[in-house]
Amino acid sequence: MRRLLAGLTAAVLAGALAACGTSSDSGDTTDAGGVDQVKVGVIPIVDVAPIFLGKEKGFFKSRNIELTLEAGQGGAAIVPGVVSGQFQFGFSNFTSLLIAQTKSVPIKAIAAGVASTGEAGKDFGAVVVKGDSPIKSAKDLVGKKISLNTLKNIGDTVTRESVRKDGGDKKNLNFVEMPFPNMPAALQDGQVDAAWVVEPQLSTIKAAGGREIASTFVDTAPNLTVAAYFASTTLIEKDADLVKRFTEAINESLTYADAHPDEVRTVLGTYTKIDEKLRSSLVLPKWPTQINEPSVQTLATLGAEDGIFTGTPDLEKLLP
Amino acid sequence: MTSPRRGNPARSGSTALLGVAGLAGLLLVIELAPRLGLVDERFLPPASRIAAALAEEAGTPAFWTALTDTLLAWSVGLAIAVGAAVLAGIVIGSIPVLRSLTASTIEFLRPIPSVALIPLAVLMYGTELGSTLLLVCYAAFWQILVQVLYGVADVDPVAFETARSFRFSAWGRIRHVLWPTALPYVFTGVRLAASVALVLAITAELVIGSPGLGKEIAVAQASEAVPTMYALIVVTGVLGVIINLLARTGERRLLAWHQSVRGEVTA
Repeated sequence: MRRLLAGLTAAVLAGALAACGTSSDSGDTTDAGGVDQVKVGVIPIVDVAPIFLGKEKGFFKSRNIELTLEAGQGGAAIVPGVVSGQFQFGFSNFTSLLIAQTKSVPIKAIAAGVASTGEAGKDFGAVVVKGDSPIKSAKDLVGKKISLNTLKNIGDTVTRESVRKDGGDKKNLNFVEMPFPNMPAALQDGQVDAAWVVEPQLSTIKAAGGREIASTFVDTAPNLTVAAYFASTTLIEKDADLVKRFTEAINESLTYADAHPDEVRTVLGTYTKIDEKLRSSLVLPKWPTQINEPSVQTLATLGAEDGIFTGTPDLEKLLP
Repeated sequence: MTSPRRGNPARSGSTALLGVAGLAGLLLVIELAPRLGLVDERFLPPASRIAAALAEEAGTPAFWTALTDTLLAWSVGLAIAVGAAVLAGIVIGSIPVLRSLTASTIEFLRPIPSVALIPLAVLMYGTELGSTLLLVCYAAFWQILVQVLYGVADVDPVAFETARSFRFSAWGRIRHVLWPTALPYVFTGVRLAASVALVLAITAELVIGSPGLGKEIAVAQASEAVPTMYALIVVTGVLGVIINLLARTGERRLLAWHQSVRGEVTA
């Protein structure tokens, strides 16, 4: 028995050493027969449906790109992942990209990501309250507790703008941070008076009797570009051809997704667990290929006003 | 030696029965609480709906891939931690200077929560297996190391000196004196680390999004698929129970010769 134990220990040690050896090699971009291995950091939500659809349709393969989608939880890992070269490309909302830019993080947007539908009451993000809440419109939010998925980010800017446009004091809002999935329960429980949510939570809350009081993206700018695909400036300098091909493939994917909402709802079932009923009813965003520059400028100006950025964002450096 | 434990099989039978009854009671509470309106059904669905979601999940290949990924991260992470900690523990423990030199460092590093290393893990490995491994190894390593150090300290100095005077080689002394004494401690460490490693594997997947059950839970949460989310949480709970059972059984079998176990199990 003791001999067995000694053997076992040796085996475990050998296994450990072997594992140490293999676990350290990651992050490969090598060409194999002219095909680029490309990893993209995305958040597994509705916004990135086009890239999943485009992969399925072969829009990337036809441009010699072998796409791996790394659906990380939350956007926090994506910017560092792109900068450190774990991912070649990433998906992030514009406020996060502007924040990164003011901190001189070497990244640049290379394609549009997702945009507001531009229709009040029919957008994919909004501020909602409980059905019996005394809050009737955005200005009633003043002094109230509002949940955001990330403090000092895009939700902050657009919610403040809705309040300002409705005649309220935008400085006097009480934001609390919590993940989107927790918001329906927090709202129901009265832990927050209002919640800034996106799909699919928006539909869930409305289905449970919640009321939408502000289409925040619509209030902030006409046809606001909410997010973009981006790359590190290093990659853009080093492999301009890959970036060009990727941008073309993304643009084709965005156009295709925008024209085929039914296929978007189907592809959602492959990388999320949103059930069929919810998938068929939720509000889809818009996927134009053009980044709406004035709307990004608005995000930058408003964010600077509210003190989200430490410096002044330089759009020249960030936009393609 | 045997008298106080004679009624053991019957008692362990009734203990198991009580355990099952407890679990059944829990299921009943989860089934009834939402049905009676004590909690909102949207946030805690009845047990039967969770079970249905579990059955549905079990029919998808993605579930089994995730389960495999989690088990892989758990086992590889634990193996690395065991190997490194046993080696380090024996070396540090048997050289007094090293022991005093590292004592404060170990006490400093040990309580750092593994999850605090998430940003580091993400920078180094992105959302891949490596991130999970880093957290699992870190958490499990200290559990085992400290036990090994205790184990080495527990070696009878007379036995050790006797072995020396019989001209046992250094390897012989480790193999025949130190190792048998330290082994029960090592196993305690491994048993503790096995559970900790599972918790950390799932946490890493949940927070970072590296592949595995934790990531599936996060996706289910983001997708408003509440029954599926609970179904996956149940799976992680069951995994924890199985791992603990295996660790206990393994410990008892492999240490059957040792008095700590001989005193406990009487056949």
